[in-house]
Amino acid sequence: MRPLRSGLPLDPLGSVIAILIGVALLAAPFVTYRANRIVSGEGRMLAEALPVLVAAAVFAVAFGAGLAAALIRNPLARLAAALVGLAAIFPAVGLSAVFLTPSGNSFARISPSVGFWLLTLSFALLAADSLTRLRLGPWARLAALATAFGAVALLLLSGAWDGLSILKEYATRSDSFWREARQHLFLALGSLAAACLVGLPLGMLCHRVRALRAGILQALNVIQTIPSIALFGLLMVPLGTLAAASPLAAGLGIRGIGAAPALLALFLYSLLPIVANTVLGLNQVPAVVVDAARGMGLSARQRLVQIEIPLSLPIILAGIRIVLVQNLGLATVAALIGGGGFGTFVFQGIGQSAIDLVLLGAIPTVALSFAAAIILDAATELAKGSA
Amino acid sequence: MIEIEHLTRRYGSTVVVDDVSLRVEEGAIAVVVGTSGAGKSTLLRMINRLVEPSAGRVLIDGQDTRTVPEDELRHRIGYVIQGYGLFPHRTVAENIATVPRLLGWGSKRIAARVNELLDLFQLDPAEFARKFPHQLSGGQQQRVGVARALAARPALLLMDEPFGALDAVIRAKAQEDLLAIQRRLGTTIVLVTHDMNEAFQLGDRIAVMDQARLLQYATPTELLTRPAEDFVERLVGTVERPFRLLSLTGVQAALEPGGAEGEPIALSDNLQNALSQLVWSGRESLPVADPNGVIVGRISVGGILAHGRPPA
Repeated sequence: MRPLRSGLPLDPLGSVIAILIGVALLAAPFVTYRANRIVSGEGRMLAEALPVLVAAAVFAVAFGAGLAAALIRNPLARLAAALVGLAAIFPAVGLSAVFLTPSGNSFARISPSVGFWLLTLSFALLAADSLTRLRLGPWARLAALATAFGAVALLLLSGAWDGLSILKEYATRSDSFWREARQHLFLALGSLAAACLVGLPLGMLCHRVRALRAGILQALNVIQTIPSIALFGLLMVPLGTLAAASPLAAGLGIRGIGAAPALLALFLYSLLPIVANTVLGLNQVPAVVVDAARGMGLSARQRLVQIEIPLSLPIILAGIRIVLVQNLGLATVAALIGGGGFGTFVFQGIGQSAIDLVLLGAIPTVALSFAAAIILDAATELAKGSA
Repeated sequence: MIEIEHLTRRYGSTVVVDDVSLRVEEGAIAVVVGTSGAGKSTLLRMINRLVEPSAGRVLIDGQDTRTVPEDELRHRIGYVIQGYGLFPHRTVAENIATVPRLLGWGSKRIAARVNELLDLFQLDPAEFARKFPHQLSGGQQQRVGVARALAARPALLLMDEPFGALDAVIRAKAQEDLLAIQRRLGTTIVLVTHDMNEAFQLGDRIAVMDQARLLQYATPTELLTRPAEDFVERLVGTVERPFRLLSLTGVQAALEPGGAEGEPIALSDNLQNALSQLVWSGRESLPVADPNGVIVGRISVGGILAHGRPPA
């Protein structure tokens, strides 16, 4: 690639990753030890957090992976280094929880600390970078995602992390965790589905009737600028009034607080990206293609289904991707008005200053958004390939 | 046969096509020429009702086009436009199959027709059927565009600047190929262009339009020798006029008895090409050969030039 450079052929991103790994290993605590779940903790370096031999092995693996990141250019070898690194630190952090917890003590909390997170970030960056360099096709990226989720699920199911504080929080709430997970998905996906049902036809209408376009897009733009908490609050009054006035609405579960205003707010936020991208997608279908289709006798419906929608699908899917990732994040705010979802744990955790409980809500949210982005990117690419 | 009767199109107070009447015989090529904005495309698009006439009517084989549902009408009329409008998400074979599929042909019949057309347009089905439009050169896209328009064997083909996007060399070849295919299939063609050379090469009759009006509709020779208005005379080009006339006349017309030295000229060629060979070879006369290579006479500079001016 750059054959004429003198000196050591250092990879720029790899060097940054190597420095991060060095800092994580030498200057940052690997885990945090706390006597109970709400007191502030004290850091434990890698060497203190694990049996000596294990600590030395983890240190050697992470150090080696850092060197590989800086010096090796072959993307497959870099990916292997990243995966070996993750395979070392993930079980190690679970082991350290067992190692550091005094026997019989159920109050002590061990949680991953800066060092662990930095190492995870470094290896994840390295893995993502090498996957990008490998130029994987959409199916291969989906397979990589499934493998990553499978590996984490295996670690969780094996009990290797059971000693960690966040899983102790989970253990006392496993029922409500899955209930809130379902609620979170219901809020994010339900509002997305409703926004598609309304937004796609609305976008097509805006495309056909030029006079409507500016007005509708302006109105949706204004909604988009309302801060989420304010919108949740604003919807409480009219929905509460509606529920009080109409027994039917109340019977349908519509109330001033709870899932109804949350779903409605997320739906409103979703409309702009979907309508705007539908209009954009339809507009960029070449006029000459539509003219040829008309001239050959395709009816308006046939043109829409066979030509215009397939050709604008990549852009419409990009809009759906924006909405899904946005809604998975925004749905956390729903907990503030009793709408449930992973936000429940985040706000409970903030209230109790229990950072592990915050993470119990935040980590699944991030993982879901991440997975949604990858899945929809792959779908967009597949749609482009066929378009 | 197409009869256009008093066709008019207005947009508000602007008249885009003003009371145009003309008739295209079965199997003939009518070329509509004129400056841009003259109303050529609108005239063409009123034939397949992409634009609805404000007044007047179009008869195809005696049938008023308004009595046929518009999509059904368009299934029966081939349509080729500048840029072709190939469907980018569909393969060459799927593009060509568009109208047959709308008409509900069986898949075997469609596949056979697609292969037949690809062969006709010198595109190897094994190589091209599965390609996507973006994988084709400009000339190949043009051929697929015409093949797609001919797929359901329309008796009438409308073409709006179909060669406009091609470079000069490929354009000449594409025009020749179109002529050959048209002569073979007997398709009636109405073609819009702003290129006078194209009009003279392809048109059995040429319609000259300016500012929404049809100024003259006549054979190429008539257009040159008896222009109806100054505008027509200027459009056909006073400098090119004699050479255009010669290019429209066959060698037969100036054939003289006797023999001559030099490379023979084909009897099927035109006088412009014959003159150019005479000038280039520096001779006063050249022999003329029939398709079998038999010398049937000779042709001279003086004999040719007599055909390059209007009859007295």
